[in-house]
Amino acid sequence: MLKRVIQTQPQVSPLKPQISNHEGTEEAHPELPSKRVSSMGELQLPDLAAEDTFVTVFHLNKKRKKVSISEFERAADKRLFQNQAQSTLDNTTLFRSLRMSVGSLMAPDTVEKRGLLRRPRNRKAIDMEAFEGGVEQNMLKSNAQNYLVDSQSASGIRTTMMTSDAEIVLNNTELFVQPQLNERSQNKLSALEPQLSHSKTPAQRSKISDAAQDTARPEGLVSGVGTDEGRTQRHSENSGLDQEHIDRMAPVSPGTPANQQEDQQDYSQQSNPVEQVSVHEEEVAGSAEHSASAGYSEHLEKELAEEAELQITAAQDSRDKTDTAPSAGGGLAEGSVGPHVSPGAEHETAKGVGAGSLDRHSDALSSSEKSGMNPLEEDDEQDVLEDQAIMLDLDDPEEEPAEDESEHPESQEVKNFESEVRQCRLDLEETAMGSSQQRREVSMKTPAFVRAAAHNPLLSAPRDEKPAAPKSPVQLLKPKEVPGRSGTSQRKPREPQIARSLIKEVFSYFVKMPVTREAFKIVEKCSEKYFKQLSSDLEAYTNHAGRKTVEMADVEMLMRRQGLVTDKMPLNVLIERHLPLEYRRLLIPVAVSGNKVIP
Amino acid sequence: QRKMRRTVPRSTLRKIIKKYKPQLRLAANADLLVHLNFLLFLHRLAEEARTNAFENKSKIIKPEHTISAAKVL
Repeated sequence: MLKRVIQTQPQVSPLKPQISNHEGTEEAHPELPSKRVSSMGELQLPDLAAEDTFVTVFHLNKKRKKVSISEFERAADKRLFQNQAQSTLDNTTLFRSLRMSVGSLMAPDTVEKRGLLRRPRNRKAIDMEAFEGGVEQNMLKSNAQNYLVDSQSASGIRTTMMTSDAEIVLNNTELFVQPQLNERSQNKLSALEPQLSHSKTPAQRSKISDAAQDTARPEGLVSGVGTDEGRTQRHSENSGLDQEHIDRMAPVSPGTPANQQEDQQDYSQQSNPVEQVSVHEEEVAGSAEHSASAGYSEHLEKELAEEAELQITAAQDSRDKTDTAPSAGGGLAEGSVGPHVSPGAEHETAKGVGAGSLDRHSDALSSSEKSGMNPLEEDDEQDVLEDQAIMLDLDDPEEEPAEDESEHPESQEVKNFESEVRQCRLDLEETAMGSSQQRREVSMKTPAFVRAAAHNPLLSAPRDEKPAAPKSPVQLLKPKEVPGRSGTSQRKPREPQIARSLIKEVFSYFVKMPVTREAFKIVEKCSEKYFKQLSSDLEAYTNHAGRKTVEMADVEMLMRRQGLVTDKMPLNVLIERHLPLEYRRLLIPVAVSGNKVIP
Repeated sequence: QRKMRRTVPRSTLRKIIKKYKPQLRLAANADLLVHLNFLLFLHRLAEEARTNAFENKSKIIKPEHTISAAKVL
């Protein structure tokens, strides 16, 4: 600061003062700040007079320090821009120690420019608010950009956006609309709608899916981390919507870890075939965490592109799959390039044997997608069914040999009926994701399905699927829930919630104004959403680092992204401000209290 | 100034994260940082809501102030 003042003042002879200033600062470095001022004063003869006034005025204008400092900084910055090299050194060292002297230095400026003082003052207040608003926007943009940057491929972004959009569409149609959507999701929505409107001929879709797959494949092949990343990134993208979606489904089907699986079934019940297709895919995409389904998603994309029925869902699917593509093993992708459904599917099945659970998911998806298609596709569907039956057989040996035999005859029965096969897929999916016991239960149930739906012709299969479908999830649910319930029908939700009193206290303290009850409820909802997003963000960061445990560095990275931690605002400062002493001690290994430092 | 809460709900935090991401684990003191993050989030929300209320010339935080604040964040 001092440097700036001194340097800005004498514009007549820039060189000399610079040299003297430089020397002065270098000498003064080890000295105390007060000495520094004096030494600098000594060195710069032309400025002596000015400095004297500085010193004298120092005592008078203590109040104006804060305002004038910033003012002065601004003015000084402009002028100093040319003489930057030296000033940088000075600023860092001077700033902390010489605030007082800076105040004094400010004095002459204030004395000279008192007339201008008022305007800058008011301006500053406004600027701060605008600045904060701008910061918020920048944060949003940077967060959005960060998310964009994070995802490994542009198609991945598109898929996530598409899926979120699709989910939103689905949400609106099926369940009550939540009043608050994440702004990010809204932005994505608005960005997506033009994309949606442009979609797409099957050729384009296949092109996109191909391109995406090609790009995604090598990435997927490279590292397993990439897979998690793709998934989690997608999740982080979809976080608000996905989880809202899933959470909404949770009350429908009692919450268990297998929620998502149940949700899939619920979706199959409630949604139209069209929605069902995309929903299933999204669910599968959502559940991709549990199992990698990318290879077969690609497989499915191919089929979709060829059949070219529903633009939106197909487009969503392709993007979904491309997004999950990075997470899959690459082998399947190559197999999925087959031109026709049946031969292609066969090829794919043959090649995809090694993928294990992937097959099942893709089958389920393909079957569900098929259901969404018009009944015109019967032939293809039958072929697919056969293929899927084959795939079932192929899949079994990989997973558990014991079940192969049980499933094999069932699958053969199922061959002729789309819906049952689809249900099988869903069930298999569930079981693949869940425990093996569940799987056995499901496989036991498939014959019931087969017989129940035996009479239904293919054409009405989609409709029949719905009545058939409710049976399965209900049947499935009961055995799942009973063992965990100990006989009583009473639920023990005990959902973990942040204590309301804590939220109230913190919020009231920060806001410094009385808060209505309704407003407070909104704050609570926001905090819930916040935690959801936070957890998915943390998961993304942790997976990005190849770890499974969230570390301090991950949380710090999160805060950095949010703009809370900057180069000017280190983490420890925040810790010291907001956390009580005991925790401070835990987090900061060195500092214990105030000024004491205990190594 | 005020009587600060001395204990933060560490176990509740862990349960919440487990609820959303059961496969994710937390390091030893990471939940404190998460709590810090939460406090700062509330801080930002509160500031934004306060600004909105000021612009409305109201002395009380109303739900619409909070909603618009949440949309900004």
